[in-house]
Amino acid sequence: MTDTPFIEIEDLYFSRGEHDIFRGVNMTVPRGKVTAIMGPSGTGKTTLLKLIGGQLVPDRGRILIDGQDVHRLSRKALFTLRKRMGMLFQSGALFSDLDVFENVAFPLRVHTDLPDTMVRDLVLLKLQAVGLRGARELTPAELSGGMARRVALARAMALDPELILYDEPFVGQDPISMGVLVQLIKRLNQALQLTSVVVSHDIKETLSIADYLYLIADGQVVAHGTPQTLDINQDPRVSQFIHGEPDGPVPFHYPAEAFYRDILGDARVSTSG
Amino acid sequence: MQSKFSSGTARITRLGRRGCDLMEALGRAGVFLAQSAIGIPSREGWRLWLQQMHFVGVLSLAIVLVSGLFIGMVLALQGYTILVDFGAEQALGQMVALSLLRELAPVVAALLFAGRAGSALTAEIGLMKATEQLTSMEMIGVDPLRRVVAPRLWAGFVALPILTVGFSVVGIWGGYLVGVEWLGVFEGSYWSNMQASVDFINDVGNGMIKSLVFAVVVTWIAVFQGYDLVPTSEGISRATTRTVVYSSLAVLGLDFVLTAVMFGGL
Amino acid sequence: MRRSKTMEFGVGLFMIAGILGVVFLGLRVSGLTLSAPSQSFQLEANFANIGGLKPRARVTMAGVTVGRVETIELDTEWYDARVVLRLNSELEGQLSRDSTASILTAGLLGEQYIGLSVGGDPEMLAAGDTIRDTQSALVLEELIQQFVSNMASN
Repeated sequence: MTDTPFIEIEDLYFSRGEHDIFRGVNMTVPRGKVTAIMGPSGTGKTTLLKLIGGQLVPDRGRILIDGQDVHRLSRKALFTLRKRMGMLFQSGALFSDLDVFENVAFPLRVHTDLPDTMVRDLVLLKLQAVGLRGARELTPAELSGGMARRVALARAMALDPELILYDEPFVGQDPISMGVLVQLIKRLNQALQLTSVVVSHDIKETLSIADYLYLIADGQVVAHGTPQTLDINQDPRVSQFIHGEPDGPVPFHYPAEAFYRDILGDARVSTSG
Repeated sequence: MQSKFSSGTARITRLGRRGCDLMEALGRAGVFLAQSAIGIPSREGWRLWLQQMHFVGVLSLAIVLVSGLFIGMVLALQGYTILVDFGAEQALGQMVALSLLRELAPVVAALLFAGRAGSALTAEIGLMKATEQLTSMEMIGVDPLRRVVAPRLWAGFVALPILTVGFSVVGIWGGYLVGVEWLGVFEGSYWSNMQASVDFINDVGNGMIKSLVFAVVVTWIAVFQGYDLVPTSEGISRATTRTVVYSSLAVLGLDFVLTAVMFGGL
Repeated sequence: MRRSKTMEFGVGLFMIAGILGVVFLGLRVSGLTLSAPSQSFQLEANFANIGGLKPRARVTMAGVTVGRVETIELDTEWYDARVVLRLNSELEGQLSRDSTASILTAGLLGEQYIGLSVGGDPEMLAAGDTIRDTQSALVLEELIQQFVSNMASN
């Protein structure tokens, strides 16, 4: 059974207002591997994670997680399914009224009837894994961004999920904590046989941990493959992104009218005429 | 001519769109209330409710009691100067008690509650939304409506009527201080006139019903504004203002309707 | 843990204060009495005109409150008002048969209440009996009319 994909995304359409975000995305996420979804800013990578988590509903198409159509589940079944997923938010999203220990204990307390001593052991185990066992009594306000994200990772792992979704785990991290996070994600995935989905635009780090990559641009998957095959991909859009070239088919400018008309004042021309 | 016509239709279209938006928001708010307020609380739910009772109830007590004291004192002072012209200063107790129980305590306590607890509820839930705490709770498989919203709603429903009782009691005592201790109204007539004219069911009871209605409306508006806001710092500040404005208007408007039904012989 | 205990204690106090407040509003402000119904008895009295008398008005004897008006209804046999009084049980069997009940007004514009005064009959009123000797309320308009007509006849 390990060969069947854990997540299947079929012909996904999603729009926000007038703005189309996805136009027919197809994707499969294999079980027990790290799959990275990459793309320039503003291509809706975070939106894709929210669609997978069932927080947004697509206009068309469907998402299967372990064979279940996420958007056809009842509210209760969806919440049950979510117990098998963990999600790491960009900001960490720790509960500000609880300390570090209680944040990690939160999923255990609400979903299990474990005795307090066992909860304590499990929480310390998870905190040890992210190297923050000593920080258990701090409040989220006292943590640095990197520490908050590691606590959030410990919380996401608290229920030993089968799937972890990482939303931009490397953004705004100093090189050291970035390295720590990369190691953590890699190690956890190997040790716990997790399926991971990493959404990011940090190429180097993502390439180093991903088993498989999807590249999204203009609401579609423009390329996919292992890091090695993408590195030598000839598609100009792919090579521009992978190699970080400023000029190429992916425009640097937000769509606008012709530059000289904007500068010369179209309005003045029309009023005088 | 053409442009005038089209701007006219555009205006009507805009009005229509506003109407649709308003109806949609009301519908969302209704579903929101039903989803979060109805349900059996768990053991954990009780603990969370208690915590919120502390925030919206106990911490609002001081401001409500102080305001009640002053309003009772002012009522007695104003009432005395009017009643003494008719030689009816014995009726002071009656006047103070009836105005407090029927009108001032439910309304003023609700307005203070909206400013003190309502705006704080909106800001708190809004901040939880802006920092993705609500989303992450959902992803952990916990319904934020039950975990975050429901305890706050129920705490508001219970706390405001208690605060209103406190307001009345302190206000009547404040009236006693000014009327009897200072202005020299006979103590016996202050209390006996009050007792003869105040009916427990009609006056105290109706005042409590008013206060319960205000509690539901104010807490509902506050919590919904927090939950439904645009998750930016500007969105939070706007939603906090909206909470105070909407709930004050709702309290005053509903007060007229309730008074007309309860005491207006409708 | 300790902080949550003090918090729980605070909320508990808050709710007790609320209950005490309602009790205060009931007893002190609206004048409800805690006495059980077994400690009282009923008498009836018919009045030709009750003026502004209302249920729950005081019943006094020599100025001391001894009971309350329970109900007021129209007696369709005599077309007068039948008033049911609920009195303290210590007066049961102590009021003579020719006691009078009159409707009085506190001050010129105050509320109306019933004043009882005992007579000299050796027989006593039992629970449920009717007070025969009653005095109706003074209606201000009638009083003025009388006064004016007296002036005119003089």
